[in-house]
Amino acid sequence: MDNKIFTLFMALGLLLLTSCEKDLPKYTPYEGYAYSELDVDGGNWIPVLEESGASIEVPVPDATDSETYLNELEELKQAMSDITSDQKRAITYWTNNPAVRWNEIALELIAKYNIIPGPNADASYTLPNPANPEGPPAFPFAHPPYACRALAYMSVAQFDGLISAWHHKYQYNRAAPYVLDGDIDYAYEENDIPSYPSDGAVIARASKNILTAMFPLEADYLQQMEDEHLESLLLSGGNVMSDITAGTTIGDAVAETALTRASNDGMKDAQTPKAVSDSIKQAAYDRFGWAWDNLEIPERPVGLTPLFSQVTMWSIDDVESVRPVPPPALDSQEFLDDVEVLKDYAQNMTDEKRRLANFWQDGLGTYTPPGHWNRIANEFIVQYRLNPLQTTRTLAYMNMAIMDSGISCWDAKYYYHYPRPIQMIDGFETIAGTPNFPSYTSGHSVFSAAASEVLAYIFPEEAEQMRAWAEEAAISRVYGGIHWSFDATVGTDQGREVAQYTLNRARADGADN
Amino acid sequence: MTPNEYPGKYPGQLSRVNERKWQSMVLLLLGLVFIPRAMNAQTPSDALMMRSKNICVLFSYDMGTFDRYWEGSYLRSNETIATVDRNTVLPMAAIGIFDDLNFYISLPYVKTESSIPNGGKFAGARGFQDIGFALKYRAVHTDLGTGKFTALATAGFSTPFTNYLSDYRPYSIGSGAPEFSLRAIGQYEHSSQFYLRASIAHLWRGYTEAERDYYYNNGSYYTAWMDVPNAWTYEAIFGKWLFDTSLKLELSYTTLNSTSGDDIRAYNAAQPTNKVEFDRVGFAAQYYLKSVKGLGFVAYHNRVVNGRNVPKFSNTGIGLTYQFNVIKKQTDTTDGQ
Repeated sequence: MDNKIFTLFMALGLLLLTSCEKDLPKYTPYEGYAYSELDVDGGNWIPVLEESGASIEVPVPDATDSETYLNELEELKQAMSDITSDQKRAITYWTNNPAVRWNEIALELIAKYNIIPGPNADASYTLPNPANPEGPPAFPFAHPPYACRALAYMSVAQFDGLISAWHHKYQYNRAAPYVLDGDIDYAYEENDIPSYPSDGAVIARASKNILTAMFPLEADYLQQMEDEHLESLLLSGGNVMSDITAGTTIGDAVAETALTRASNDGMKDAQTPKAVSDSIKQAAYDRFGWAWDNLEIPERPVGLTPLFSQVTMWSIDDVESVRPVPPPALDSQEFLDDVEVLKDYAQNMTDEKRRLANFWQDGLGTYTPPGHWNRIANEFIVQYRLNPLQTTRTLAYMNMAIMDSGISCWDAKYYYHYPRPIQMIDGFETIAGTPNFPSYTSGHSVFSAAASEVLAYIFPEEAEQMRAWAEEAAISRVYGGIHWSFDATVGTDQGREVAQYTLNRARADGADN
Repeated sequence: MTPNEYPGKYPGQLSRVNERKWQSMVLLLLGLVFIPRAMNAQTPSDALMMRSKNICVLFSYDMGTFDRYWEGSYLRSNETIATVDRNTVLPMAAIGIFDDLNFYISLPYVKTESSIPNGGKFAGARGFQDIGFALKYRAVHTDLGTGKFTALATAGFSTPFTNYLSDYRPYSIGSGAPEFSLRAIGQYEHSSQFYLRASIAHLWRGYTEAERDYYYNNGSYYTAWMDVPNAWTYEAIFGKWLFDTSLKLELSYTTLNSTSGDDIRAYNAAQPTNKVEFDRVGFAAQYYLKSVKGLGFVAYHNRVVNGRNVPKFSNTGIGLTYQFNVIKKQTDTTDGQ
């Protein structure tokens, strides 16, 4: 009797355990798909940094009846006949829209490097140093300004590269191997897009080059990913080697253009010495009678990137032209009322408010709010079956808008230097971590509003949802106890306004014609 | 920004991360009330059995604290969280189904907070943690040499009782995942009333649901579900009965090793996926009142001496146990004591 009960109990327990093994996804669950359209005129669209789709030259390809090309085809068939299961898995993983995969790689590196340096034993802090990337602390600290900038440069290079690829594809019209040779089966959905130069190779090389510059310690990993990707382009039956070589030529060129801009965009001066930081703070105090203080122990001497506001914007000449109105004075009724709102949220935390605060927190160790919006974009991109050119256009404009909005937000943060709730409310405690920079306006609000506007433009059916999510992300920071209500509402307006400059550019690039 | 789960996390829960604490608590707490040892209240991880139709209830209060933690294998402090206190109230009941089969149920209430001042200004957490159930079966109970050998096995299951957030270290009150455990226990007690007990258990932990759908665990995870690592735990106890079997003293050594998981990253918050390891030593005393039948007291202290991705946690607890015979009251039988 005893034995039976015990055995039954254990059997039930084990059954329960084995029945709940979960498959935890490590990337967006999609495979190759048929594009919703081909954009045969895409080579005429206006690039962001390059002059035109024709400005990067590639060699005239060998004709498909030339001996050289026929040899390439034979080599391809030979390679495909020896394919391994790992290579097949790689083909499935990379898909025929690999810009999404490279975007995910960027998000993963952001999450890996979004680690704030802790204090030294003597209470000082050491900053990551690109000249000594191993550290400690390792370079970079991939905080939201760093993250949005890395994503913008990668996406812009990808987009410019694909405009160039589209130009040459339809200039030379060299068909894909699987079209030319009936013995070759394409791993993805067949289409009529010419295969020279390989758009996948453009994406692989441009992404790898940008990310290697942004995350120097990951050079080996990124090279390995590029090698695997380029090999899968070949083994998919979609490209011969000369398609890929032409693609990497374009990838190198657009990455160089983007990295040249990056090296001179002002980011290297964004994290100021303490003297500069102190003078910025003093200027705000003189102007408004308040200043934000870092309350960490030991105190961090300089806030995060005080001069990110001076980084060159993509679509706006003067950052001050989009600066929001001043926040309420600390003795105003609006401010005092908001203190009560914050206290009320903290004292009456609900499951739903807590869920939103955590869902949109995207704090240290994660892909940051810009990363979260890239993840959202990736999911809609595959849902709407965008082709690679449309994919990179979406990501480029979204990340340009996010970066511009971040620059504008940082301008407001350090111009107004407004205190955080924990500084102004005695004994106040939060459920989210208070970041190392001033309160007004909320970075989450501005980033999210800008991203949602671009996604609303690309996916008009989703516009309402996008804007609702942006507002949710904004108010989540108030629920978390780390922002005032007006940080969120004004920040949302700010992000929407800044995004219009990018959208004006998008509407004029030729894609909507 | 913060550390992680500590071994003292699940006092009272049927063998969770904190086997030892649980064990000592329950054991201690539940323990002693009665006269013959065989009737003492017990815990899922000790060698005691309660006779059929007896119930023992335990109520204990546990005060835990830490001001350093292991980030991977690096022991550090962190003024963002300063000193973290974790106080637990544990109600538990042990029921004698048969003389060789006991059932246990427990439900701790946990409250966490940082000392002031601290650099993070995070709110602590509080709430009912996990409801735990266990069945303990005594397979062997025999004379051996001049003493007695006992062998037992325990199966336990626990699961979150409320929707507390596990992804809020170090303030989260539990791991937020269901757990199934199997434990084997062997004890030899010499006629001098010295005894030695050893146990080994495997803990199968399920998944906990975070309130975000992306996290980093040596790579991206696009899901809210976090895999809480399984673990092995071992324990050795040296004890002695004194004063006509009314006072029991024990020294314990416990170790727990997760079978997978990641390290806490530099100056970053812990998360439920971390690979937890610790070694802990403890001392416990139980006293059975002679004057009030069925009533006992327990007190204990444990401290983690070595670890990985855990706080350097120490905890002290006191408790009260009361045992009674349900049937006796109704039928006036003489079963039990």
